[in-house]
Amino acid sequence: MATLGVDVGGTFTDAVLVAAGEVRTAKVATASSQDGSVLAAARAVGAFEAEIERFTHGTTVATNALLERRGARTAFVATAGFEHLLHLRRQTRAHLYRPCAPHPDPLVPLERCFGVRGRMGPGGELEPVDPESVPRLEEAEAVAVCLLHAYRDPSHERVVAAELRRRYPAAHVVASHEVAPELREYERASTTAADAYLGPVLGAYLRRLGAACAGAGLREPLVMRSSGGVVTLDEAASHATWALLSGPAAGAVGAAVVARRAGFRHAIALDMGGTSTDVCAVADGEARREAERLVGGLPIRLPTLAIHTVGAGGGSLVRRDAGGALLVGPESAGALPGPACYGRGGTLPTVTDANLLLGRLPETLAGGLELDVDAAKRALAGFDPAHVIDVVDAELLRALRVVSVEQGLDPREHALVAFGGAGPLHACALAEELEMPAVLVPAAAGVLSALGLAASEERRDAVTTYVVPLREAGELPADGVADLRYAGQSFELAVPLGPGLADRFHAAHEARYGYADASREIELVAVRTALVAPGPRIELQGPSLSARGPELVQLAGATCWVPPGWSGETDRDGTLVLRRTG
Amino acid sequence: MDVELQVVGAQLRAIAEEMGAVLVRSAFSANIKERRDCSTALFDGAGRMVTQAEHIPVHLGAMPDAVAAVASHEPGPDEVWVLNDPYRGGTHLPDITMVSRTELGYAVSRAHHADVGGLEPGSLPAGSRTLAEEGVVIPPTRLDEETLAGLVGRMRQPDERRGDLRAQLAAQLLARRRLGELCARRGRERVAAAMTELLAHAERVVRAGLARIPDGRYEATDWLEAPDGPLEIRATVEIAGDEAHIDFSGTAPAHGGNLNCPLAVTRSACYFVVRCLTEPDLPASGGAFAPVTVTAPEGCLVNARPPAAVAAGNVETSSRIVDVLFAALAGLPGVPAQGQGTMNNVVLGNDRFVYYETIAGGQGACPDAAGPSAVHVAMTNTLSTPVEALELQYPLRVERYGVRQGSGGAGRHRGGDGVVRELRVLEACRLSVVAQRRALAPRGAGGGGDGAPGRTLVNGVALPAAASADLRPGDLVRIETPGGGGYGPPSR
Repeated sequence: MATLGVDVGGTFTDAVLVAAGEVRTAKVATASSQDGSVLAAARAVGAFEAEIERFTHGTTVATNALLERRGARTAFVATAGFEHLLHLRRQTRAHLYRPCAPHPDPLVPLERCFGVRGRMGPGGELEPVDPESVPRLEEAEAVAVCLLHAYRDPSHERVVAAELRRRYPAAHVVASHEVAPELREYERASTTAADAYLGPVLGAYLRRLGAACAGAGLREPLVMRSSGGVVTLDEAASHATWALLSGPAAGAVGAAVVARRAGFRHAIALDMGGTSTDVCAVADGEARREAERLVGGLPIRLPTLAIHTVGAGGGSLVRRDAGGALLVGPESAGALPGPACYGRGGTLPTVTDANLLLGRLPETLAGGLELDVDAAKRALAGFDPAHVIDVVDAELLRALRVVSVEQGLDPREHALVAFGGAGPLHACALAEELEMPAVLVPAAAGVLSALGLAASEERRDAVTTYVVPLREAGELPADGVADLRYAGQSFELAVPLGPGLADRFHAAHEARYGYADASREIELVAVRTALVAPGPRIELQGPSLSARGPELVQLAGATCWVPPGWSGETDRDGTLVLRRTG
Repeated sequence: MDVELQVVGAQLRAIAEEMGAVLVRSAFSANIKERRDCSTALFDGAGRMVTQAEHIPVHLGAMPDAVAAVASHEPGPDEVWVLNDPYRGGTHLPDITMVSRTELGYAVSRAHHADVGGLEPGSLPAGSRTLAEEGVVIPPTRLDEETLAGLVGRMRQPDERRGDLRAQLAAQLLARRRLGELCARRGRERVAAAMTELLAHAERVVRAGLARIPDGRYEATDWLEAPDGPLEIRATVEIAGDEAHIDFSGTAPAHGGNLNCPLAVTRSACYFVVRCLTEPDLPASGGAFAPVTVTAPEGCLVNARPPAAVAAGNVETSSRIVDVLFAALAGLPGVPAQGQGTMNNVVLGNDRFVYYETIAGGQGACPDAAGPSAVHVAMTNTLSTPVEALELQYPLRVERYGVRQGSGGAGRHRGGDGVVRELRVLEACRLSVVAQRRALAPRGAGGGGDGAPGRTLVNGVALPAAASADLRPGDLVRIETPGGGGYGPPSR
């Protein structure tokens, strides 16, 4: 009886095996084939000797295919007159002061964008759909269909999608109402196009992985979605955009588990890696969600954990601009050559080099890499390493404020869960600045995403669009979240369903914007519900230790810097709980 | 640069950004909530713009005048002041500015409101001849419930106006609270020092950029399309070391229409060009403009005096000033061919609704890259209103929205294509179109071809650059926006 989680990252594939109160972890280098890496990590953690009850998996296949534009040859079908939706975007330019800076290329070129006759209006059909006008396609592997107002009445889209599936049975056809039935045609079209474009790639990967697992006698994995829950492999393969944040979501889920078990209802996850840092607020034990995010410059409108990413990590490069200001990132030394102190040929200064010179890294990293202090000194000539850390911390502080203060959450009520290779080096300084009560460093800080996978719930999200006055909405589901706004506004506040919905919306508006107006009509835009099957209850464990700053604490796969005035000890899970004491 | 000051500076920028987010997310009119036609900024006690959340370049240089206008009234610490008078701190009447004191200096928000009264719905009349015809003129005024009610009572859809102004007010209050928190945490002196350092840093960066431009006198002329013939704008840019002086002597006098603009708008356009050519990635701060002086003869088109009408000056003349400055500096690295050079302002409205939008077009190509298609060029960067959101809220139907293929100029690097947009009105209403580049095409550079000029059609009949019309239900407005000029001779 054991639970296995395997998370594939850019550099390493991590595995966590929880069996009979024991937590085992393993790290293997990610190979060119992700399915091979998954099996290698499973083998390394001893999964083949255990009886695996539950196997969960986080993958970067969809994300990489999007960023590297390696998806399927896709066609786009829209309402006639709106064929160019993906190319018009929202009409803003890419950079305010660089006139010719390009936007990321749309996933479908103009010549494969088509229109169908028929028109749906906001109140219903204006002109019947004409199946004869569905375009003749040549060698399209995937087709995205997005017709106007399909969020409200998908009947035209159904006709068009059915006609395409009948004509091109081998093509992966996705209609917008199937993936993101929400108002705003560009964002919906962008999501649908990504779903069609990535479907064949993710589908092929998951089928290959399923077959490889079967061959190795391992059960078929559940797959992590951006929303922070897992679904079956077949469901995951049917809508690929849901897997775009598979990896980061698992980390936030792991942070939520650690915080909850340590007795903190509210927390902020800080996952600092080599090139970037992900932050996500955890409220009442659950990572917060949002309805839309940008991936590779393209809007993806799907329930997603509200993870905010900044281009600052351990490998971020340090430089000075013409006005003398110290800048860190977003350029990174990457895995190769890496920071100068890694001794792999890097000569440019990075955040890791600064941490080393300040004595916040050991001479030998977990895993055996010896750090070269002289190389770090050469690279950082002319920079004060303490200033480098101040500047990167300022960037991280802004990120933490975006997910807390700007959402109306008070950081003073949140613990900071620090993980990833570099998170525990910076956490105490950040917590001090935001007056956060505690820093939590999990025993599994180096493999927290895989732990999150092992503990994750099964989750299926659904959204129903209304856009009606709340008082006319009729009976609503008992559980879930209502997206509400004053009639006339464009942005909604998410309010949990239940009694007193209107009053709770007024209160939320007051809290968020400083005023409420009880005389205004409240509009119900959408209801979001989720079918959830709880994940397994897992017991954590780790070495028992205590720390008093200034002190360097070596953990499995991460190093923690405890500054002067901070101290703490591990709890029963092995989570190091640090507080300001001095 | 002192790193603690840099850190506090980042926190000041975050406050300005949060002000902008609050304003957009709690607003009611499409122009603010969907298109984000607004800006927010923090100023120091001396009235210098410390940091601006960047949305709209045309707001860039024009905010300091608003602060100066309010500061002269010595506002109390808990007061919020409001204005839109273009000759006392404003730009054009729909841009309503709020100014309030903070623990250290001032917070400012500026939003383009869908209507501020006047002759035509939308307050961007095509044919206004004096400021008073364009809407309610608000001199710097202390805002309270009574003033607010009085102001919105003179505008169309007072309920929506009140909602938008309250959203703006929420941004002001947020800034006051956040500045208070920051000063309590860091100490007033450190925050004040950080403000000074943000200004000084931006100045150093821009001076370094200006020093890279060869010294000399650069000149050019361009024209605006007006009913009574083209209006000349002439600019001379003098680069001397790390400073720039831009002068508009030779520019046509203010005219009887509404293409005039106050000097604040002219400054914004000059600052925009300086930003593009020196350090595009620099966070917006007034310090960047310390090495730049802008002069124009009093009473000319780009330094108008009351009671000249100014509705189109902010949106159209500002675009042409950018064109003429880029033309003067042609050949320097980063200087593009001419883009669409207009915002294609369209207003549809009656007593029941007002809808305002600007439409993207082609960007002129750069020496090293094609011009992007279907983007806003130069002085604005507002988003489009989604077709579905527009049709839900207004009695309008969008019949077509697409790239105007082939409208960009030929060249080694092609100019960007414009946009085609068709709006059918479902109830009787007024149309105002304020646009340019309907007759005079955006020019290519270095041997590149011109972009196609734009067209405005009602039921297939072409209208001039600026026009108003009464529309009946079923009438169709078609806008074809200009393409950008190409760069370098086309191959073959």
